[in-house]
Amino acid sequence: MRGRPLLYTSYESDQAIFNTMAKKVFAGLGLLVLVLLPFNVVPGLGFLAAGDWLRLLSTVAIFVIGGLGLNILLGLAGQVSLGHAFFMGVGAYVAAVLGGDPEGVRLGFGLPLWIWLPAAGIVAALIGIAFGPAAVRVRGLYLAFVTLGLVFVGDYVFRNWISVTGGAEVGRTFPPLQFRLWKEEEPLIDFTSDGAWLGIELISEAKTFYFVLAAALLFMLLAKNLQRTRIGRAFQSIRDRDIAAEIMGVDEFRNKLRAFGISSFYAGVSGALLASFVGTVIPSRWDLFLSIQFIAIVLIGGAGTVAGVVLGTSFVILLPRVVQDATLWMQDVVKEGDSLLATLLDLVVATDSTDFGLVNTLPGIGPGLSVFQLNQVIYGLLIIGFLIFEPLGLYGIWIKIRNYWKGWPFTY
Amino acid sequence: MTTLVDRPDALSADVGYRTVATMVREWAEKMPDAVAMREKDYGIWQETTWREYWDTVVDAAHALLALGVAEGDRVSIHSEDRPEWVILDMATVAVRGITVGLYPTNPAAEVEYLVSDSGAVVHLVEDQEQADKVMEVIDALPGIKKIIHTEPRGFRMWRDDDRFLFWDDFLHLGRKHREANPGEVERIMASATGDDVMTLVYTSGTTGPPKGAMLTNANVRYCIETLIGLTERLPGNKPPNPDDSILTYLPLCHVAERIFSTWHQVGYGCTLNFAESIETVQQNLREIQPTLFFAVPRIWERIHATIAIKGRDGTWFKRIWFGLGMSFAAVIGRQRVGNDGEHTALSRLLYIIGYPIVFRALRERIGLRRLRYSASGAAAIAPEVIRDFLGLGIPLYELYGMTENAAVATCNLPGRNKVGTVGEPYPGIGFRIDEETGEIQTKHAAVFQGYWNNPEQTAETFTEDGWLKTGDVGEWVDGTHVKIVDRMKDIIITSGGKNISPSEIENSLKASPYVKEAMVIGDGRKYITALIGIEFDVVGNWATRKGIPYTTYRDLGEKPEVVELIQGVVNETNSKFARVENVRKFRMIPKELDHEDGEVTATQKIKRNFMGDMFGELIEGMYRS
Repeated sequence: MRGRPLLYTSYESDQAIFNTMAKKVFAGLGLLVLVLLPFNVVPGLGFLAAGDWLRLLSTVAIFVIGGLGLNILLGLAGQVSLGHAFFMGVGAYVAAVLGGDPEGVRLGFGLPLWIWLPAAGIVAALIGIAFGPAAVRVRGLYLAFVTLGLVFVGDYVFRNWISVTGGAEVGRTFPPLQFRLWKEEEPLIDFTSDGAWLGIELISEAKTFYFVLAAALLFMLLAKNLQRTRIGRAFQSIRDRDIAAEIMGVDEFRNKLRAFGISSFYAGVSGALLASFVGTVIPSRWDLFLSIQFIAIVLIGGAGTVAGVVLGTSFVILLPRVVQDATLWMQDVVKEGDSLLATLLDLVVATDSTDFGLVNTLPGIGPGLSVFQLNQVIYGLLIIGFLIFEPLGLYGIWIKIRNYWKGWPFTY
Repeated sequence: MTTLVDRPDALSADVGYRTVATMVREWAEKMPDAVAMREKDYGIWQETTWREYWDTVVDAAHALLALGVAEGDRVSIHSEDRPEWVILDMATVAVRGITVGLYPTNPAAEVEYLVSDSGAVVHLVEDQEQADKVMEVIDALPGIKKIIHTEPRGFRMWRDDDRFLFWDDFLHLGRKHREANPGEVERIMASATGDDVMTLVYTSGTTGPPKGAMLTNANVRYCIETLIGLTERLPGNKPPNPDDSILTYLPLCHVAERIFSTWHQVGYGCTLNFAESIETVQQNLREIQPTLFFAVPRIWERIHATIAIKGRDGTWFKRIWFGLGMSFAAVIGRQRVGNDGEHTALSRLLYIIGYPIVFRALRERIGLRRLRYSASGAAAIAPEVIRDFLGLGIPLYELYGMTENAAVATCNLPGRNKVGTVGEPYPGIGFRIDEETGEIQTKHAAVFQGYWNNPEQTAETFTEDGWLKTGDVGEWVDGTHVKIVDRMKDIIITSGGKNISPSEIENSLKASPYVKEAMVIGDGRKYITALIGIEFDVVGNWATRKGIPYTTYRDLGEKPEVVELIQGVVNETNSKFARVENVRKFRMIPKELDHEDGEVTATQKIKRNFMGDMFGELIEGMYRS
């Protein structure tokens, strides 16, 4: 009945992804804004239409896919994994071998995108499932260590399997984001060159953005759907108490394997997209820091929620850019004037090799942290802060705000 | 006068008297796919359409025939409100039987009395709890042929007892009978008359055992047309209609809930929503957001107290806004009480400001946001409570009636809502206040046929010229409205010869959120005293805030701080009454009053005699110098 948001007359409406009108409207508006972004027509967000910002947003979309994968494992099924980067690496190299240039220096079969992209996910998923039994035997901190081992094994293999990966410090090129039916010369749809689509002139960054955006939305929908199905609920019951879950008839072994499989599938696809998007990647890209970045995404965003992953990814990926821009702005202020603000900011940034500052935009020169190092420090502090003060992450803050108004004028 | 909007006409001349069952059939033909009722099951509100509703009623009616239920046989129902209650009720009426409702809280002894007094042949129990009660006394009830149960769980121990029949099997039996005898139920319905007794409504019986008031098809139809169908009863002159939603939660065996649920449903096509249980009413209210709502004063007091407690428990920022809203509401309430329930310029202004900041959200939280009409009845309510709800913009009207006249007596109307009165007599009914005794008497087509098997009591209930004696003392206010003074037999005459109405004092005490029960004593005594029972959660919440440790109900009630708190309530009440009516002393009731223990009736009315015996020592203590 209209005007009664709490009156559910069917499980479909109870479990609907957009169960209120407000959610539908906001989701629609959000989608509209994203689609219009490259056209510089959204007031206040015009700067995002620039190519470098679109590349950054595309990175966000790709990381969202990977983050969703870890979220399924960590947020839904409660299994800590530091091995996410390994599975991304696997996906990337499967894509490289299947889709790579057959005439190139490294192994490649030149297969089209619609083969190498799903294959990247499937192979990663199979390895995840193969690894699963080991993970079923241990939990918590021990599982974290076991998966940590995975990253180091992967790192060793990636560095030394030169015919596939190009070897340490060299790397290899990856197939571009081009859609072909088979091995024809001209791609059917090219996401990597400027040109018109349906008569609308677009830069290559915009095309890439649309492609990864569509992929991210698809995976978000799948992840959201997983949460409200039998399997998703089984994952959550294992997360909350594995023994109780087993007593209720949830097969712990099978569901943990499933969680690893699904999570690795997401990681594989994300890895393949990332490598293809960047173009050339060295094996050390898939190291522990990448795993930690994903842990940060899930924990800062809010474990167990799709919206949280999106928030967390945006935060983690956009933070370096914001820090960098802020540093540059502060340097300008310090160089220009001798106002009080300039004096204060001088303590924070270094302007030349002899100046002392907390942040230094000129890496390797003088004391202070580089922007990259500063970001790592900020991630660390944020993970600690969120775990202690806001375990539900950015999304949890939003939920708190929403609940505050939901109860108005009462508190409960 | 009565207007029957949007109601199908009777089908044809030979259809027989238009009973409530006929009305269900008419709706099923008129709007078969519209929702007739909802019941929350497995977490969602499962809907039943009118077509399904009528189809099940026919199955159930055939099943009753298969069980040998004949014209005039009684079918008793011992269950919480649920669709099966209503379906069996309609099926019984369809086969010209008589429905007898029992309160879910009735203990085994009362089950024995009610079932044997009514002589029911088929008995419906909801679950094992109710089955245990009837099985405890089954030897004294040889008349029962079948016991139908609506829950399958917990009946293993009786699986070889062929008196038991599960609801689904009962309907299955009906379907087979229906195949073998198609049209049988319709034939019986066509022979129905207005004088058929359709239900026995047992009065709660604050003195003596309950008495079964006989209501006929004609009584009920008069009630539906005169009371429910009174167009100007609802704001905007819009009578109940299929867009209206009702939450069914009070016991259906009580005439008030029957009127506000099933008779609204069959008469005007409103949708019934069955609350999961009495504990979840507030949650269910929020989900359903009914448009029409009836509650007894106890429930209104409870909602009133909930608002106060939740408001106080808020964070400081919310408390400021809540306090602002409540102070607006207090002014609005007073303005409206002084203006026949309508807004004045000032109150409308305050309401327009208060609505977006507090009232709208607050009403949504308590589930009364979509309300267009609500009523209080079945007992007296404190005017303060009505005033506060009017202040929040909730259209609340007090009405008055009793089982014996199918509740057709008086009601307050929009634009003429005098708080503190029970309103004006319905247009066209016989209504008078006896000049000598002040007793209210009624005479109209909804006045009952008498008490079941009880001609003496029936005779006592009527005057010589055939008017129903309600036993309530009333007086005219402004020549149009009626104020109820008290039950005639409850009026206290002190040793000083003063006539005092205890219920007014009691209601004033009960208007405080801290007081759940109050019983004023003083008949033949030198002064007035009272027994007071606290509202456990509210006082508990207060004590926790004050840092007062407590364990049980009794322990909490006897804390000096709590006694002091209640003394404050008593003092406040005393300031509103004349000196002789002041409560000089009071004692705390050491236990929560309970139907099963016999202190209150099923409708939570205090049994004064019983209380006098039970707490005689406490009472005497107050009169020892």
